Amino acid sequence: MSLLRAVARRVATGLVVWWAAATAAYLALLAAPGDTVDSIVGDGADTPQIRAQIIAEWGLDRPAVGQYLDYLWRLAGGDLGRSYLRQRPVAEVIGEQLAPTATLAVTAAGLGVLLAVTVAVGTAGRRRRWPRRVSSGVELLLVSTPSFLIGIVLLSVLSFRYGLFPVAGDQGPAALVLPAVTLALPIAGLLAQVLRDGLDRAWDEPFVLTARARGVRERTVLLRHALRHALLPAVTLAGWLFGILLGGAVIVEQVFGRPGLGQVTLNAVTSKDMPVVLAVVTLSAAGYVVVNTAADLTYLLVDPRLRRS
Amino acid sequence: MSVRPLRTLAVAAVLAVAAGCATATTPAVEAAGQPRSGGALTWAVETEPITLNPHQYAQAKARLLVWNSFEALLTYDARGALVPWLATGWQVTPDGLRYTLSLRAAVTFTDGTPFDAAAVKANIDKLREPGYAPAVAAVQLRHLKAVEVVDPRTVRLTLTAPDVLILDFLASPQGAQVSPRSLREARNLKAGGVDVVGTGPFVLDRYVPGQELHYRRNPGYDWAPPTATHTGPAHLDEITYRFLKESAVRVGALTSQQVQLIEGVPATDQPLITGNPRLRLSRQLNSGSAYSYYLNVSHAPFDDLRVRQAFREAVDVDTVLASVYRDTATRAWSVVSPSSPLYDKRLEGSYGGDTARANRLLDQAGWATRDADGYRTRAGRRLTVRLVQAAPYVRDRRDVLAQAVQAAVKQSAGIDLKVSLVDQGTAQQAFARNEYEVFDNSRADTDAAAALNLLLHSGGGINRTRINDPQLDRLLEAGQATADPTRRAAGYADLQQRVVADQALALPLYAPADQIAASTAVGGVRFEPTAGVPASAYDLWIAR
Repeated sequence: MSLLRAVARRVATGLVVWWAAATAAYLALLAAPGDTVDSIVGDGADTPQIRAQIIAEWGLDRPAVGQYLDYLWRLAGGDLGRSYLRQRPVAEVIGEQLAPTATLAVTAAGLGVLLAVTVAVGTAGRRRRWPRRVSSGVELLLVSTPSFLIGIVLLSVLSFRYGLFPVAGDQGPAALVLPAVTLALPIAGLLAQVLRDGLDRAWDEPFVLTARARGVRERTVLLRHALRHALLPAVTLAGWLFGILLGGAVIVEQVFGRPGLGQVTLNAVTSKDMPVVLAVVTLSAAGYVVVNTAADLTYLLVDPRLRRS
Repeated sequence: MSVRPLRTLAVAAVLAVAAGCATATTPAVEAAGQPRSGGALTWAVETEPITLNPHQYAQAKARLLVWNSFEALLTYDARGALVPWLATGWQVTPDGLRYTLSLRAAVTFTDGTPFDAAAVKANIDKLREPGYAPAVAAVQLRHLKAVEVVDPRTVRLTLTAPDVLILDFLASPQGAQVSPRSLREARNLKAGGVDVVGTGPFVLDRYVPGQELHYRRNPGYDWAPPTATHTGPAHLDEITYRFLKESAVRVGALTSQQVQLIEGVPATDQPLITGNPRLRLSRQLNSGSAYSYYLNVSHAPFDDLRVRQAFREAVDVDTVLASVYRDTATRAWSVVSPSSPLYDKRLEGSYGGDTARANRLLDQAGWATRDADGYRTRAGRRLTVRLVQAAPYVRDRRDVLAQAVQAAVKQSAGIDLKVSLVDQGTAQQAFARNEYEVFDNSRADTDAAAALNLLLHSGGGINRTRINDPQLDRLLEAGQATADPTRRAAGYADLQQRVVADQALALPLYAPADQIAASTAVGGVRFEPTAGVPASAYDLWIAR
């Protein structure tokens, strides 16, 4: 029963998040200068007749509130509408770009977490002063380097110079390596810092002393007790991670000529392609809610104290 | 120890630069040899088309794709004259109101539909349907009254007023012939795609949005235009166009042989191509209007001819172009591209770069005092002019060029050119509210007259100088009704004299160009005659 209620509350929260996100996106685009007709006209000929036809085609002469309610109503009914710019159903535009972005994001997230855990575990603790200084310096560098630059450097060396990986497109695992690494490095940098910090603090906790006193081996203390403790703050970053992946995809997809949601979103926002923007926002809000729910469940898994209460 | 990661990074950076700069040490230079049939090519292009339906065409950068699968009734040869393609010829009545076109026999669309007069009528009728292609209906077809099928091989267009640009329409991507079946049945007609087909030498069989377009040869093709270098089916079995937006990535993909052709090579990357014996760079000026700054005459300070002239004299265009484009840009002297048959050569060297004259003119116009920052003032107001650039349409580093012009006019004449790089909406708002003094534009129309109509006629769709000059309107209207090439050129020469020399409505800067870099194993690399953009893949071949 309480589980059901918890789920219901989750769903309700999700709906509110979705509504708030969609409304915020709508208002932001509405407040931005110019209107949809301008962006459909583009830099070509611009006469009253042309404008009138565009307005009639998309019903843009209705009041903003009416258009907004119409959007929400259709969105709620699962109809994403048609793209102003691309003249195709939004579900199609987004549907075909979802898989490449998801593949890239999941691979990058996995790689980032793996790298971060390895580096943090390898460099945490007071006795390893030099490795941790070095790795902390590299992490800082990675976090502060634009992923555009990381991507171009990786491409120049590994693809153009040594031909190890293909440059472009979504063509199997080999083409996924460089984009995923580009996206994963800054994530690994920040996560490693947080994790190591957590490990260092866990090291000072009484339960570590207790574990050691019981004669538990040092590696077991680290992996079973300290790491678990250190994971909590890292899991809190899941929402941030989701945002980074979506934002990073825009740049990575452009550099590597990969299909994906990043490009679609960028084009839609700059051209005020409202149906596409709202669909992407809806999708992101849903993704965000799912990721955060997963994070909450992970807390239960990691921290036995939460399970009892 | 802490030095190591830094050094590793430095090494990586050096490697990256080396990878970019290295002129690959290769054996012999391979030539493409004789044309041969077969093989596949990958071409990395800068722009992913917004639409694949030629009727909706609006991006000059997408033109090289259109003619792979679609064809028009007419086309231009290298001298700018119209020649037959899907039409075998045309006749016009002496009053210029009726065009009768005879059509080529035995042409079929790639979905099997025969090409005939009914198909031509279906295409034009579709273009005039409300909401389908508003810009084409309102501009290119505005004088069209009726389309009539005389017999299966003959179609007649009746106009409401003489308009020679109707022929330019018939040679344009918007006038390309789409299968009537596609017009009826395509799932997303305005977006185009594999189910919107034409009569071209290739068939689009795969579109991966955000990644690539793939075409295969149309084996039954046998109606190449006279401008092509061969007849019959295309040489290549298949061709892939891959979208790579970053120029550094395109060049890297070419130097590492992952693609065989690229288009769009900025000045900074051109040495990488020319220094490599296995690569070849070619460039061609585009048709249409040159890239120019149009000056808004509707309010101060450019309502004063002297200020407009002074602005133009204050810029040493050659120096500015050399600093931004390293001598790869061709200076424009007129609003018409130097590659156009309408170009007026007399304007060359007739103005510009005379700083003393610029300052004299400004003194005369009352902008005689200077403020603390060195800018000229009049009655306490600074001589400020605003250039608004819409970021999505900025190419060829036009934002950097604007900064160079800004520095030049400040230094030589104390003019404050305020450059703002904004989103499309903000730019449109500034234009609508008349809150700008400088408007920058170039257009790639095959017939420059089409661009001039939009830019300089008082009722033009992009009349951002806000000029309302009966004499200009008369010249433009006369030009549109004149078919004789000599009289036409003379009329447009008068127009250019008035716009550039007499009225100083514009500061022409450079003639836009396209570049193709290709492996030497690729033969038949060429530009579309007159248009000056990369040609379709029809004449391309690849050595074994």
